[in-house]
Amino acid sequence: MKYAFFPGCTIADRLPFIEKSIRLVCPEYDIGLVGLPFTCCPEPNSVQSFSQYTWLTMAARNIAVAEEHDLDILTACAGCFESLAMAKHMLDTSADTRAHVNRALANIGREYTGQARVVHLLQVLHDDVGCKGIEERTLRQLRMRVVTHSGCHLLRPERVLQVDLAEAPAKLDALVRALGMESVDYMDKTMCCGAGIRGVNRDISFAVLREKFAGMSMVHPDAAVVFCPTCFISFEAGQRVVNRMFGTEYRLPVFYYTELLAVAMGLEGTESILSGHRVQGTEETVARAMGHGGTPAQAPMGTHGAREV
Amino acid sequence: MRPVIWDDDEERVSDVRQAAQPCFQCGVCAASCPVFRVAPEFNPRIAVDEIVQTGTVAVTGREWYCAYCLMCEQRCPMGVALCEILVAIKNLSARDGKVPPSIVEMMDVIRFTGKVSHPSKGTTRRRRELGLPELPEVDAAEVQKLLEVTGAIDRLTRYREAECEPQ
Ligand code: SF4
Ligand code: SF4
Repeated sequence: MKYAFFPGCTIADRLPFIEKSIRLVCPEYDIGLVGLPFTCCPEPNSVQSFSQYTWLTMAARNIAVAEEHDLDILTACAGCFESLAMAKHMLDTSADTRAHVNRALANIGREYTGQARVVHLLQVLHDDVGCKGIEERTLRQLRMRVVTHSGCHLLRPERVLQVDLAEAPAKLDALVRALGMESVDYMDKTMCCGAGIRGVNRDISFAVLREKFAGMSMVHPDAAVVFCPTCFISFEAGQRVVNRMFGTEYRLPVFYYTELLAVAMGLEGTESILSGHRVQGTEETVARAMGHGGTPAQAPMGTHGAREV
Repeated sequence: MRPVIWDDDEERVSDVRQAAQPCFQCGVCAASCPVFRVAPEFNPRIAVDEIVQTGTVAVTGREWYCAYCLMCEQRCPMGVALCEILVAIKNLSARDGKVPPSIVEMMDVIRFTGKVSHPSKGTTRRRRELGLPELPEVDAAEVQKLLEVTGAIDRLTRYREAECEPQ
């Protein structure tokens, strides 16, 4: 299946190693990625709050670009997914809205028709490839206890997105189990990481992240697994800010799902992906999970990973 | 609720009021709100109550603290989407040029590049080292045009004018 690949600003411009992992993994499952001149999705909170009309029109423009190529859109970021999927919902359920937006798009010679679907990579891997298909392609099991965080914008609004159960998401957990990992339940699993207001109020935003980390650290995971670049940056770089602001000592490796999938599949080039990480001990955590060197990850809990001291 | 694309202010306020009508002040939204949990000065329930009671939107600035996690909407037993109501309120205040500076900055970057970020020199090098394809060229002029016809440029201008007014 061929898709218009929508990497989103954050992955393309700030986390190229995540894009690399996606581009390593997708061809293995016959998922074709076509690059198109997409603009910012646009970002669902700030841009929509500034002007919902602008937000909707920019999203409609991106979908229209994919429609012109007869392709569905494959997103890799929960924020891009939310913006494009919600915009599509608004445009498909109100003829008035669609006409209004299309009048704006006429200025740049484009039209939204509603032909293209919008999906996130989690759906393609879980719903289309399936966990069995994933497991069959792994060369090694990753022995790790992880907490998963699907991301607000993949889960809600549940009635529109229908990706997973918003109060009890299970798909990312099933996907990590397919790689041999244990997914541990934790308090506030579906809670936000605070990223949406990082620019508006830094103190509040990181206090929200502190709460999130408190929940995750209680179960002493080896790592956190996410499926969104904003959640990734929020957790990985954000934990250092939380440590500075609140005197905690979190040191939790964070992974975007396809990075671990590439490792479990034994694909070439995963070292260059993992070296992009900033949390000390990330590469060692993966090495231990593969059974190389150090103590096995399933040994004493809490000897590494998130721990409040 | 309809997207906020109509120009009539009164109509929009009545939209908001109508959307908030089913609320019976149970507080489940506030109890589920991650922002309220750490910053009780932001209470999404009270933001709604104000509108239902007065029929007007009091622009306090706190509505911008909403992280848009959509948990309030998920849990509301009456199906009230507080986050969408807050978006409508923020749209109203942005129209008058009242916007947090970080959001204005983001809009400016979008206006001139079509994106919220651009690859740093380091990222461009990393992309090449990793063997990633060149990013397709974004037509920033197209985005500028859309910002213009959807009123975003006017909003940015109003923000700058408000900035220059003596306090
Ligand atoms: S959860 Fe719904 S009904 Fe309850 S206070 Fe909040 S908006 Fe009102
Ligand atoms: S969407 Fe906003 S108001 Fe609603 S729960 Fe999340 S942060 Fe609170």
